[in-house]
Amino acid sequence: MKNARGRTFRRAAVGYGLLAPSMIGIGLFLIVPVLVAIAVSFDSWNIISPPKWLGPQNYISVLTDPDVWHSFLVTAQYTLLVIPTQTILGLGLAVLLSKRLPGTPVFRVIFALPWICAPLTLGIVWKWVFAPTGGLLNAIIGTRVEWLTDFSLALPAVSFVSVWTQTGYVALFYLAGLSGVPKDIQDAARVDGAGEIGVFWRITMPLLRPTTFFVLATSIISSFQVFDTVYAMTGGGPGAPGRTDVIAHRIYSLAFEQLDLGKASALSVILMIGLIVLTVLQQVYFRRRITYDVAN
Amino acid sequence: MATNQYRPLSRGPVRRIGSTVLIYAVLIFGAVIILTPFLLSFMTGLKSPVQFSNTSSLSLPSPITWANFQELFGPDHNFISPIAVTVQMTVVILVVQLGCSILAAYAFARLSFPGRDIIFWAYLATMMIPAVTTIVPLYGMFTAVGLRNTFWALVLPTLFGSPYAIFLLREYFRGVPDDLEAAARIDGCGTLRVLWYVVIPYSRPIIATLTVITVVSHWNNFLWPRVITSGPDWAVLTVATADLQSQYNGNWTLVMAATTLALLPLIVIYLIFQRQIVNSISIGGFK
Repeated sequence: MKNARGRTFRRAAVGYGLLAPSMIGIGLFLIVPVLVAIAVSFDSWNIISPPKWLGPQNYISVLTDPDVWHSFLVTAQYTLLVIPTQTILGLGLAVLLSKRLPGTPVFRVIFALPWICAPLTLGIVWKWVFAPTGGLLNAIIGTRVEWLTDFSLALPAVSFVSVWTQTGYVALFYLAGLSGVPKDIQDAARVDGAGEIGVFWRITMPLLRPTTFFVLATSIISSFQVFDTVYAMTGGGPGAPGRTDVIAHRIYSLAFEQLDLGKASALSVILMIGLIVLTVLQQVYFRRRITYDVAN
Repeated sequence: MATNQYRPLSRGPVRRIGSTVLIYAVLIFGAVIILTPFLLSFMTGLKSPVQFSNTSSLSLPSPITWANFQELFGPDHNFISPIAVTVQMTVVILVVQLGCSILAAYAFARLSFPGRDIIFWAYLATMMIPAVTTIVPLYGMFTAVGLRNTFWALVLPTLFGSPYAIFLLREYFRGVPDDLEAAARIDGCGTLRVLWYVVIPYSRPIIATLTVITVVSHWNNFLWPRVITSGPDWAVLTVATADLQSQYNGNWTLVMAATTLALLPLIVIYLIFQRQIVNSISIGGFK
C-alpha cells in the first residue's frame, strides 16, 4: 500500500515537473491577462495614472457607441465578402488539383505561398499594387483609381487581398479532405448512371461536410480577428468612422491611440465571449456530425 | 487502374484533352494571380526612383540597381538590426517553446497523474482566447515591471510552450509504441533520457512540421511587437517595414526593397520545407 502511494506521488511529481514551464507560461501570459482584461474592463485606465474602478460604465459606453456598431458591421461585411468567395474558389481549385495532372505539386506550392507570408508585409505590397500613382493595378488596366481611399472600393479591396491570401490554404485543406473520400462510392454512383456533376453534389459534397464545416468555422473565427492586413493597407480608413475599421483595429485604436484601455478591454472581452460561443457551438455540432457520419 | 473500366464510354479522348486544357488554363491563371504581386514588387525594389516614375510598373528594371538595398542597409535605416532582432527572437522562441511543449506533451500523452486531464482541457481552452484580448493587459503587465521595449518583452509571452504545439505533439506521442519506451526504461533510462533517445527521434515528422509552423508564425508576428516595442532598437522586420512605409509613403522602390527583404527568407524556407508546410495545412495548422 505504502509503496503504491509512493509510486503515485512520484509519478505526479514527474508529471507536474514536466508541466511546470508551460503552466507558468500559459498561466502568466494567457490566463492572467484574460483575468486582467476582465478586471480592467470595469476600470477607467489610461496607462499613465493607475486604473480606477468604474463599474459597468465601459460596457454601456461600448454598446451604445455607434462607432463600435459600425465596426461590427464592417467586420460582418468583410466576413461575408471573404468567406463564401474563398471557400468556393478553394473548393474549385482543390477539385482541379485532385485530378493529379502532371505539375500539380508545383501549383500546390504556388497557391499556398501567400499563406506563409506575413499578412502585414503582404498588405504593404498590396498597398503598392492599389496605389493611385505608380501602382500595379492602375498600370495594368490603364486607370487612375484611388482604390484604397475610395469609400466604396476600400473594403472590397482589403477583402480581395484576404481571399488572395487564404484561397490556397482552403484549397489544400479541401484537397486533404478529397483524398479521404472513398473512390468506390463515387464509382458505384457512376455505374448507376450518375454524371460527374451528380456524383460531385450527391456523393462528394456530403462526404466533405466535416471539412467544409471546419474550414468555415475556423475562417469565420479568424476573420473576426483580422488586423494586420487592414493596418497595412488602409489603417482602418477611409472616412470617420473608417470604412475598413474592423473590430480588432477599433480595439487597437481605443487602447493605443485614444488611451482608453478600459473601454478597449470591455470591447475585447465582448469579442472573446462571442468567439468562445462560436467555437463551442462548432465543437458541439462537429462532434454530433462525426458520430452521425460514422453511425451511417 | 481497375476503376477505369467503370468510366462511362462517353468520355472520349477529345473531351478528355479538352478538359485537361481547361484545367491547366484555370490553374495557370490562378498561379499568375498569386505570383504577379510577388514578382513585380521584387522588380520594383530593383528600380531607381527615377526609373520607377518614368516607366510603367509592369516594365522590367533596366538597368538593375541595388541602390534601394544599399540605402536600407545604410545608416539612415539600418535594416541589419530588424533582421537580426527577428532572427534572434524567432530562434529563441523556437528552441525554448518547442522544448517546453515537448515536456508538457509527454506528460499529457504518456504519464497518468491526478489533475492531468483538467489541466489539458484548460490548455485547450486557452486556444479560444483571441490575441487582441490579451494584448492590452500584457502591455500593462510588461509596462508595470519595466520590460517594455526589451528583448524579453518580444519573447516571454510565447516562450514557455504553446497550447497548439502541445496539442499536436500529444496526439503524436500517444502513438509511440509502448515496447520502445519500456525497453529504454529497462535499460535504466529516466524520463528525460526516454524523451531524448526514444520519443523525440520517433516523432521527428511532427517536430519538423511544428518547427516550420513556429518559425513562420513568429517571423510574421506583428501586433505584439508593434505594441510592446518602440523606436529602432527592438523593431522586428514587420514593424520596421510598416514604419518605413508610413514614413516614406510613395517612395515605393525603397518600400518594395524592404518587403522583398522581409519576404525572401521565408519564401526560401518555404521552398525547402514545402512538404512540412503542406502537411501542416492539411492538419489545420497556422491559425
